[in-house]
Amino acid sequence: MIINNLPLQIIRFSCGFAYFAFATVFISCSSDNDDFPTDDEAEEISPVVFNLNEIPYPKLSDYHFFKTPINDMKPVYGVIPYEPISTLFSDYAKKKRFIWMPEGVSAHYVSDGDALNFPEGTILIKNFYYENVLPGNTVKLLETRLMVKKAGEWIFADYIWNEEQADAFYNMEGSFVPVSWNHDGETKEVNYRIPNGVECLTCHNKAEIPLPIGPKPQNLNKNFPYETGQQNQLKKLKDFGYLASYPNQIQTVVDYHDTSQPLELRVRSYLDINCAHCHSDDGFCNYRSPRFAFSRTNDPENLGICIVPDEDISNQVDGNPTHIIKPGLHDESEIFYRMNTVQANIKMPSRGRFLIHEEGVQMISEWIDLLEGNCE
Amino acid sequence: MASVLVLNLDAQVNFTTESVPASEYYKMCVVDMNGDFLDDIVSVDHTNINVLMQNENGGFDVVNYPTSYADHIPEWTMAAGDFNADGYNDLVYGGLTGVSFMFSDGTGNAYETVTPGNYVFSQRSNFVDINNDGHLDAFICHDEAPNVYFINDGDNGLVFHQEGLGDYPSGGNYGSVWVDYNNDGLIDLFIAKCGGIEARYTDQLFRNNGDGTYTNVAEEANMDNKTQTWSSAWADYDNDGDMDSFIGISSDLSGGHLLMRNNGDGTFTDVTAGSGFDSFNGESLEHAPADFDNDGYVDIFGNNGRVFYNNGDMTFTPAPAPFSEAATGDLNNDGFMDAFSFGNVYYNDGNSNNWITINTIGTESNRNGIGARIELYSAMGKQIRDVRSGEGFAYMSSLNTHFGIGTDTEIEKIIIRWPSGILDVIENPGINTSLVAVEGEHQMGVDDANAVQFSIYPNPVRDILNVQSKTYENTTYEIFHITGQLVQKGKLENGKINVSKLNKGIFIISLKQNNKKSNLKFIKQ
Repeated sequence: MIINNLPLQIIRFSCGFAYFAFATVFISCSSDNDDFPTDDEAEEISPVVFNLNEIPYPKLSDYHFFKTPINDMKPVYGVIPYEPISTLFSDYAKKKRFIWMPEGVSAHYVSDGDALNFPEGTILIKNFYYENVLPGNTVKLLETRLMVKKAGEWIFADYIWNEEQADAFYNMEGSFVPVSWNHDGETKEVNYRIPNGVECLTCHNKAEIPLPIGPKPQNLNKNFPYETGQQNQLKKLKDFGYLASYPNQIQTVVDYHDTSQPLELRVRSYLDINCAHCHSDDGFCNYRSPRFAFSRTNDPENLGICIVPDEDISNQVDGNPTHIIKPGLHDESEIFYRMNTVQANIKMPSRGRFLIHEEGVQMISEWIDLLEGNCE
Repeated sequence: MASVLVLNLDAQVNFTTESVPASEYYKMCVVDMNGDFLDDIVSVDHTNINVLMQNENGGFDVVNYPTSYADHIPEWTMAAGDFNADGYNDLVYGGLTGVSFMFSDGTGNAYETVTPGNYVFSQRSNFVDINNDGHLDAFICHDEAPNVYFINDGDNGLVFHQEGLGDYPSGGNYGSVWVDYNNDGLIDLFIAKCGGIEARYTDQLFRNNGDGTYTNVAEEANMDNKTQTWSSAWADYDNDGDMDSFIGISSDLSGGHLLMRNNGDGTFTDVTAGSGFDSFNGESLEHAPADFDNDGYVDIFGNNGRVFYNNGDMTFTPAPAPFSEAATGDLNNDGFMDAFSFGNVYYNDGNSNNWITINTIGTESNRNGIGARIELYSAMGKQIRDVRSGEGFAYMSSLNTHFGIGTDTEIEKIIIRWPSGILDVIENPGINTSLVAVEGEHQMGVDDANAVQFSIYPNPVRDILNVQSKTYENTTYEIFHITGQLVQKGKLENGKINVSKLNKGIFIISLKQNNKKSNLKFIKQ
């Protein structure tokens, strides 16, 4: 499909190369993209400005990820929205996430619970914003975090939105932004944390190799309302050429907000997305026993059930937790106290939140209180 | 967590718990705040420093110092030291995203909040003279990046640095202790590390090269321990003249506790087997040294409600205590180390053992004498201490240097090796008392035969000059202005001289006892 009446025709074929009308290039075709519509001879080209040597750019607008005005976060062609089934709690900030890849490369499946193996040039985009921000009940974008696969490694780039919400600027220094907003009729306040660059790796690492957390098949295997209609996210990525393939059966998490789902699955999904990146064999908190990955929490020991914690926090909280999780007794469970505080040296997660996730605490408490059994 | 409990009633003390009105949230500090060398209790928050000021007559007086808003509070660690050398200790608050300093204003009446603004995920913080220029600096472990430190520019300004003192890219730095491990008179740095891949949690030992640089010699010293640790307790546990190390684990994922004996040649030997720590499985963020029973062998505490009493032979016996992690100091001036945590004082009930406490005042060196090596010689042998700001993991303990001397009734001498290189020798000090030692006032070569041994504090002084001497009998004093003019004189009745009427300036006090005479300099503020 020809986009517009440019004097220079730029045509992209599904299997090949940019082709300039006055030049001759070789085109190689393969037939491995069976799902691709065949009645189009050419499609859109992604207008994203991709000059990997220059990335990270000084301004978010430099990338051309979004149509103007960019604060509407409407993606251009090639920038595909996605959302994990269960999401990280970030002080109630809302998020819009996108993925873009250069032409002709795609990600590969590793395992249900591992991030996809993304190709060179992949950009993951995550916008953080609040709605109903006081005083004017407006939308306020705070930051847009990028992860870019560059020279075989992921780099981090954070862009802070200006007051006018016109653009966001590269800044790795970290800061606090006070936000008040109307949250379902209640006024909530937060001193929102925009991280310093060194904070990124603390969560986004596996044995100190930087990597994404959200885009795992277990988290993506659901429908998303694209502009073209509802579609499974993995299928969409594959159709678009961003994902080579994926298996038919995937151990999938549930949305912990969805009360129609079994409570235990909701809890395990919550713990996976909020905790497993540190509490894993290769995370920074590997020296504590919990292993919160969804694929591992079918084992009660990995959840911390009836496990005595290494650190005794009973002097610092209003209660006497004796185990990480004590069946039937959330107020004798350390995990409850760590979730139900903002004190820096006790709170969990230790990064990424400065408020208590009340709904999360409620859900975990409910689940613990329904657990049966005794610890010796 | 199993533990071996062997009660050795001879070498234990009891503690009496008493709640104290430390009003602010962060209750982590025992240190002298008003310059009288009595340990006070400090609790802080964003806009107030609450001090329970120890009264020399017993008990505490409550003093609050409202401050301008401190962006960072000691949600992780706290340290104290006289950074600006004005005679009053300053504070550093180690917070989640940065540090704030509270600098005394020189009068003991107020503190100024200074937040440098650099990002640091603070872990153990210390005051120490890193570059040995006589000005105290501040060091903060970084959980996620290379360690940061602020060098004092000589004008009490903070110069930020982040290189050369533990540069592992993703951090893992938890428990820093400044200690002269190789007895070369230069302060070194040991860092207990934790978490991530092995290279990240391997401990580091930075040897001070004396030229402003430090080198990690942990491997050659056999101190590149690969256990999961947040703190280590350093002391000369076997009283053989060099600093040993107990590296206590926070998690048993990568091995157990380690007791490392200093071989005296820059290397350490693992002597955990049979030490008592091999059979103790408790884990803790905190491990710190203190001699609780005053027997002259430094004990260890912090872990799971135990004091590990030092049996004198590199074996330790755990006994129950009503505290785990705590700040230690002498909170009732009885010569026995007490503990403070979570709003409670745990008073040491003591025993009949003897003791001495040294209060160091640096003149060429930093004002606290942090980094000074103090040696005590008595019948039982030799004991050593380093003056240290910031032990264990989170708490700040007294800057006074405490020795138990067991049943010894005399101290032959105290030697102080100051960071400046100055060496002071105090012959036959009194026991069961505290001794103020001003740098340079007891140097060898002074006319000892005709000298009176005495010391004075506080210095600088405002109102009352305290004179310390073995006796006040037949003692008179004269005070001369530095220009030679006699300004005050009298009999030394009770060791206290009211100097409030003197003008500001430098004076010499001349003490005459029988036929002996000595002069000391002091500053009147």
